[in-house]
Amino acid sequence: MDFSIIAGNIDIYLEGLKNTLILVTISLAFGLIFAIPLAVLRTSGNQYVQAPIRAFVYFFRGTPLLVQMFLVYYGFGQFDLLKESFLWPLFKEAYFCALFTFSLNTCAYTTEIFRGAIVATPHGEIEAARAAGMSTFLMLRRIVLPSAFRRALPAYSNEIIFMLHGSALASVITIIDITGAARIVNSRFYSPYEAFLTAAAFYMTITFTFVFLIRRLEKRWHGHLQPADQSVTKIEAPV
Amino acid sequence: MDSSRQAISVENLHKSFGENEVLKGVHLAASQGEVISVLGSSGSGKSTLLRCINLLEIPNSGIIRVAGEEVLMKKNRKGENQPADRRQVERIRAKLAMVFQQFNLWSHMTILENVMEAPVHVLKQERKRARERAVHYLEKVGIGDKLGAYPVHLSGGQQQRAAIARALAMEPEVILFDEPTSALDPELVGEVLQVMRDLAIEGRTMIVVTHEMGFAREVSSRIIFLDQGLIIENGTPAEVFDSPKTERFQTFVAAMM
Repeated sequence: MDFSIIAGNIDIYLEGLKNTLILVTISLAFGLIFAIPLAVLRTSGNQYVQAPIRAFVYFFRGTPLLVQMFLVYYGFGQFDLLKESFLWPLFKEAYFCALFTFSLNTCAYTTEIFRGAIVATPHGEIEAARAAGMSTFLMLRRIVLPSAFRRALPAYSNEIIFMLHGSALASVITIIDITGAARIVNSRFYSPYEAFLTAAAFYMTITFTFVFLIRRLEKRWHGHLQPADQSVTKIEAPV
Repeated sequence: MDSSRQAISVENLHKSFGENEVLKGVHLAASQGEVISVLGSSGSGKSTLLRCINLLEIPNSGIIRVAGEEVLMKKNRKGENQPADRRQVERIRAKLAMVFQQFNLWSHMTILENVMEAPVHVLKQERKRARERAVHYLEKVGIGDKLGAYPVHLSGGQQQRAAIARALAMEPEVILFDEPTSALDPELVGEVLQVMRDLAIEGRTMIVVTHEMGFAREVSSRIIFLDQGLIIENGTPAEVFDSPKTERFQTFVAAMM
């Protein structure tokens, strides 16, 4: 094994790291921003509002991310209407196609995570909000969503990690993300082990940074889920 | 009858759930400062009556007035009764605080935040003032040392007292109690009843759905007994308990004692 190859090509990896981080954070941000209103509409809208959201979620959860990305990157070019529109300069770029697909994909999953969390709001807390004279919007903003976000956090932190790992697929459509960087190094030096192990180390570092941040957020948000006496938090296996 | 001086008046209230008619024309008036205990066996419609007053249930027909203001109703496309003006409903609910059987504190907020929430966001009180009021009421119900605790960390009795403080913080015209002690362990019932007793002495207007005969008899200014969706006893505790008009109430009391 010769890791001097990696040291010599670290700038490719750093370029890859930058692209991975940009792709993942922007997709997650867009996904999250759109998932919140979609989840609310999915739980409270009438059936004409719900049906398209449901279809959207079904499609993106029901098909592989790679297929979705191919449909956008290779497939959209078939439509002359799109090719002649002002959107084409965007969709002809692999980078934008990946961003677009990832955003929609994580949005679908996040919508479903939040939908579940919203539905699980204790009914009594909703009645208490109504009885206190809250409007539906105020109740959503102050009671239902804050409570749902807390419930959704563990599942959403998984979604963040899945998105990070799923973003490796971007390398298939010419983007140099971390995996793309590893593929370049591998093909140049024919050293798959060094190349991909380095990529794995990068992903692992990002994952644990995320996990660390989420854990801090959980500590702040989940006070109401922890026992008042912190000494009894451990769940012991039965003897 | 001069309805403007009444905290609440209900006329000819009907409510059905499907085929099941739960309220069959209920009349009720609560003057300011009155403490009305609503008694009745389960299924008699007493909780439904309370929930109709603040429109958690929408009555099929009837008139509800709160502090002289009539709740405007209209018919929807299916011909069902529904409130005509959401804003009015929200405004009226803010005048009618409710204390629930299951406390229904907002679990992700501390006790202090629970009590401050509606004053700040519904009544638009200034935070500093709302906090002062919240602390005041929490001290009053005897849990001034639990401000930062989450509901789940409190006993049932403490949670219910926090819920009462949350109701008081709205400075409501009337407090509606929906079986406030029914979910409590027997030894915790007393502390909640004591808080309610103090409120009654202060002259707060309260409508209390309860099974606590002792409380109803000692504290209420008036007892109402609901049976099969109708009020069949209505009078001072002395009148109702000592010389009930109906046999039904006598058997009910005998069964409770």
